[in-house]
Amino acid sequence: MSEPFKTAALMKDLMVKYYNRGEECRREGIPVVWVTAVFPVEIIYAMDLFPYYPENFGAVASARKVADKLSEVAERQGYFSDLCGYARCGLGDAYTTEHLVGKILPPDLLLCCNTQCGSLPKWFEAAGRFYKAPYFLWDSPFFEDKVSELSQNYLLKQLYELIEFLEVTTKRRFDFDRLQEVVALSSEATGLWNDCLEMAALKPAPFGFFDACFHMAPIVTMRGTKEAVDYYRQLKVELEERLKKKIYSIPNERHKVYFDHIPIWPRLRWLADIFAAHDTLVVASQYTHAWAMNFDPARPLETLAELYPQQFVNRGFDYRIKLKIDFMKHYSCDGFVLFSNRSCKPSSLGLYDKRKMITEMTGLPGVVFEADMSDVRFFSEGQVKTLLETFFERMG
Amino acid sequence: MAIEKYLSRFAAAVASPYEEAHRRKANGQKVIGWLLTDVPEELIHAAGAFPVGILGSNKNIRLADTHLQVWVCSLMRSSLEMGINGELDFLDGILIPQTCDTTRAMVGIWRKTCKTPYIENFMLPKQVNRPSAREYLIGELTRLKTKLEQETGEIITDERLRASIRLFNENRQLLRRMFEIHVSHPEVISSREAYTVIKAAMTMDKAEHNKLLRDLIKEMEQKVSELAQHADHPNSKVRLVISGEVWEPPELMDLIEEAGGVVVGDDLLTGARYLGPDAAEDSDLLEALADRQLKKIPFGGFDNQDYERRRFLVDQVRQSEAMGLIFLHLKFCEPENYDYNDMREGLNSAGIPNLRLETEFTNLSLGQIRTRLEAFIEMIGGDLIE
Repeated sequence: MSEPFKTAALMKDLMVKYYNRGEECRREGIPVVWVTAVFPVEIIYAMDLFPYYPENFGAVASARKVADKLSEVAERQGYFSDLCGYARCGLGDAYTTEHLVGKILPPDLLLCCNTQCGSLPKWFEAAGRFYKAPYFLWDSPFFEDKVSELSQNYLLKQLYELIEFLEVTTKRRFDFDRLQEVVALSSEATGLWNDCLEMAALKPAPFGFFDACFHMAPIVTMRGTKEAVDYYRQLKVELEERLKKKIYSIPNERHKVYFDHIPIWPRLRWLADIFAAHDTLVVASQYTHAWAMNFDPARPLETLAELYPQQFVNRGFDYRIKLKIDFMKHYSCDGFVLFSNRSCKPSSLGLYDKRKMITEMTGLPGVVFEADMSDVRFFSEGQVKTLLETFFERMG
Repeated sequence: MAIEKYLSRFAAAVASPYEEAHRRKANGQKVIGWLLTDVPEELIHAAGAFPVGILGSNKNIRLADTHLQVWVCSLMRSSLEMGINGELDFLDGILIPQTCDTTRAMVGIWRKTCKTPYIENFMLPKQVNRPSAREYLIGELTRLKTKLEQETGEIITDERLRASIRLFNENRQLLRRMFEIHVSHPEVISSREAYTVIKAAMTMDKAEHNKLLRDLIKEMEQKVSELAQHADHPNSKVRLVISGEVWEPPELMDLIEEAGGVVVGDDLLTGARYLGPDAAEDSDLLEALADRQLKKIPFGGFDNQDYERRRFLVDQVRQSEAMGLIFLHLKFCEPENYDYNDMREGLNSAGIPNLRLETEFTNLSLGQIRTRLEAFIEMIGGDLIE
């Protein structure tokens, strides 16, 4: 990560406004709705409710290196250190009086989609009990191979159930025309986000995975709003300017690698530096691409029912190998790094075999390392460093 | 035949769980395994194949560790170990129910590492209260039925499926009756023995299991009426409910009994959850199987807002007149680990003593567990133990 982005200030401003708006909504009695990162938030924006992402809270607590402290509170309460780090942050914050990164915004409603994992529903169930707020699970069957009509119908039917649930609990009417507008805005933002991610394919590139991690908060929390569209339009312009001025993501880009999936938040800087020190740009990850969706605003509810549950994390083994290899080809990668993340079984299980198979299929060197996205108690710097350095040597 | 003779038949089936499957295979029948536990075995049976539960193993895990992280539960790790080391090569197929993140990932790993020719998902809905769940589940059962027909080359007619459901219902009814006698007369059949009979049902031929079980129950009833003639037989055991996934390693049951306890209820995958409710025999049969699944007791893998686990466990303890509850939680089982806090609070506020033991299929230190069990049972049993 080279010189600071102008949009960084804008982002800070945007996020401060977003969090303030949340507090305001609580005061004004506008329902605060907890949602998961891969959830049709468009429905919430279309109803003028306030969506809040407890996963973001987890990521922020992790990046500020307090996940272990919050986790210890959750552990004293009877949760366990081998559960998802984000969940431990959220549950820890519920039970603590010391809010190390500000207090999580209590929900009036909790909506969860399990396409990401089975941890989020369990966390949201527990939070629903703690905050005494109604909970709704949008249940996505696993897509090992093809997406069946049966599953698709089930998903769509549940969105109607969800809308009814929201109408009953918030006493507001749902407006399908408004949804269409919101989906159009969402589509525009995700398109712009994708354009930014695409710039990593240039060599040398003005934008890489670690930049994307920095700039992703609005696409996660605000897609469906005009603010998100404006933000990524400006980011795109800035990236084009930087390209003209030859400001690149890292100074001497020699290699490009694919990174699977999320960063080690409390060691983000360390991780970014170690790649930069080896003149290696991390160019893509299925994680940051998760929000590069291509919605069809003409079929607003259907497009949501299709695209969210079909995310990589809910797909089968072969699909995900192909997805990784496609990224490696598209971004001309020279190698790949797979993160076996204790907090995330859906992303991590199967990586040992995938590492071998991808190398066999592409000839590219790859490595799997073990850590936790949140909790430094499960991070051994020496071990990860040695593994990565061996990998850099193999890449040449 | 005396009770002990019958019990030793069930114990032998549990000691060599795949013997019957091997016999079937040798006779040319297809054998389809299933991972624990929410699978419609009746469909496999009605397709003319032999359904057999893959129940994990207490042997050391070695080969699976290069394919599956060690921070995964030992039920899945040891089951995969058997798949890789060839112990399960007799399987023509395996049915993997999607109940948690590990099972969701297992199917792909199983395809890459094991020789099983036919690998199938059973994609259960994770919410059980809304109308969409039932409609979807009926569709999923229809899909599974078609796949099983293709795989076995047999048509699952209504007649065959009804006969299978009847056979499995009978098995459940007999198991319930056996368990009732165990609860009222643990001196006739101990906890370990009763649960061994249930576990044997998961790998034995159902018709044979039913026959043996019917005869065993007759003997047990005989014994009970004999005991009744000797007026007051003292029942000085501490009645306990156990909650969790599995009673592994099996020595746990002995430890509970040696400490003066008796298990009078549970929600285990290798216990009450395997039994579940009967399926209706007189309605649409796939709908009946769907309803059986949706009416099962609460479990951490499914969102069941109509009947929360904390309430279910308290009901379970009260109904079975237990004095306490012991959680047997497999290390790294996420659904249990997320629910534990709430379940414990529910029990505590109802004044029900409870103890959580973390278990693993392999390398569990039983000495420590014995000490904790003895202290817990003595605490809640008080004078009973003397």
